[in-house]
Amino acid sequence: MKKLVFATIAAAISAPAAAAPETYVIDPRHTFPHFTVNHLGVANIYGRFNRTTGRLILDKAARTGTIEVVLETASIDTGDNERGERKRSRDEHLRSPDFFNAAEFPQMIYKGTATKWNDDTPVEIDGQLTLLGVTRPVRLTVDHFRCLPDPRVGGKREVCGGNATGTLRRSEFGMKFGIPGTSDEIRLLMQFEALRQ
Amino acid sequence: MSRSGPTRVHPATCRLQRTIRRGNVLSFFDHPAIQGGVAPFVVGVVVAALFFRFRLAGLAVAAGFCTAAYFINGFSFTPLTATRKIILLAPAAALIGILCDAFARPARATAVALGLASGALSIWVFWSVLVQKDLLQALALGAGAALWVALVVSLTCGLAAQPVRAGAAGLGLGLGTGAAAVLGATASYGLLGIALGAAAGAFLLAQMILNRKTDAGFTFTLPAGLLAALVGVGSVLLAQLPWHALALLLLAPLAAHVPVPERVSVPVQAVILSALTLAAGAVPAVFMWRAEPGLPF
Repeated sequence: MKKLVFATIAAAISAPAAAAPETYVIDPRHTFPHFTVNHLGVANIYGRFNRTTGRLILDKAARTGTIEVVLETASIDTGDNERGERKRSRDEHLRSPDFFNAAEFPQMIYKGTATKWNDDTPVEIDGQLTLLGVTRPVRLTVDHFRCLPDPRVGGKREVCGGNATGTLRRSEFGMKFGIPGTSDEIRLLMQFEALRQ
Repeated sequence: MSRSGPTRVHPATCRLQRTIRRGNVLSFFDHPAIQGGVAPFVVGVVVAALFFRFRLAGLAVAAGFCTAAYFINGFSFTPLTATRKIILLAPAAALIGILCDAFARPARATAVALGLASGALSIWVFWSVLVQKDLLQALALGAGAALWVALVVSLTCGLAAQPVRAGAAGLGLGLGTGAAAVLGATASYGLLGIALGAAAGAFLLAQMILNRKTDAGFTFTLPAGLLAALVGVGSVLLAQLPWHALALLLLAPLAAHVPVPERVSVPVQAVILSALTLAAGAVPAVFMWRAEPGLPF
């Protein structure tokens, strides 16, 4: 009987701990925010940011979660970073004040909260994107999300990750150069993985 | 009464008419040549013509710059970025220029004082960039920017009493800065520089058409020198214009000091001085082109 009481007390104490929010640090090697922008109404150009940091805080039992992602704007990569026969590559132009103004605004920050869940999986994130010093709401739809014991370390830690998409109008952030030749609407496609601390 | 046959319309006019018929007037103003060249020039001509008799034709340069800034950036000042500070300084410099013309003589000392004040102001403009650098790098960049802006403004303001030379200096400095900025990977700064040159050209054209000089004063020279200098520094700090190319831009205001016979007419003086300042202003762009040939983007 004593054992049963102790077991019940132990379970009552440990239950809230299990439901507590867990912090996951973004794995920069498996997290690349991509974007597409239409060029001249012809093709969608793809680009990405190569350096990303951040963290997720998840409480799957309570169905709450937040995400904070910091992107280094100078790490933009659209696959055109060699000058060739031109004075400057497209990526160098994208770092200039015409677009990301990387010298003055080296970071772009997204802070969001998971607002819709499907069981214990977040499906929608409402957040604020700060770009060029302007903060505006950006909603991300989580297309895929999964957490599992990380097989690379024998399951000793948990890894969570997925894919999210969203859209924004760059002119709302003051990035007006080249519109409409280079479209105002930007589609975000984010792949992310985060390791539990 | 017989009707005449169909009038031949220039193809460019046809294109413009089609654009307007489609309701695409705004897309017409999206064209970089309109934003940085045609619109600032037209506004500069109108302002110079309107204010010529009031001896304030020099307002053309600030008006032309603001026109380009409106199309490129809009008149939004939150957050107050370096670019927006430069735009904000256009009307402020014109206003300070008017006050200086009213209360100070166009003497060398006034030009130097305005240069030093402008140099100090450049630190404020680029503060958000400088604070992100290492201390030594920030000090070097800040000092270099302040020195460059002080030199350009002093040289340009030194021409306040010589309107044709001032106009030619603004033309060469503006277009030279614009061309160098485009090669330094920032088209928007390039357009702002070109707009300065176009508006200074409008100020010069007004004097050529009327064949008489007007007052340039600090109303013209302060905005022309300050804005061109800040656009140049911005192209270095925020894009990839090399410092040595920026230093070469000093040749443009220096070329406007070359002696030209005063007895020749105003249009001839304007043509000679413009040719000199344009050639001098083109030196950095040519230098960059030769060092690294190829298209800007």
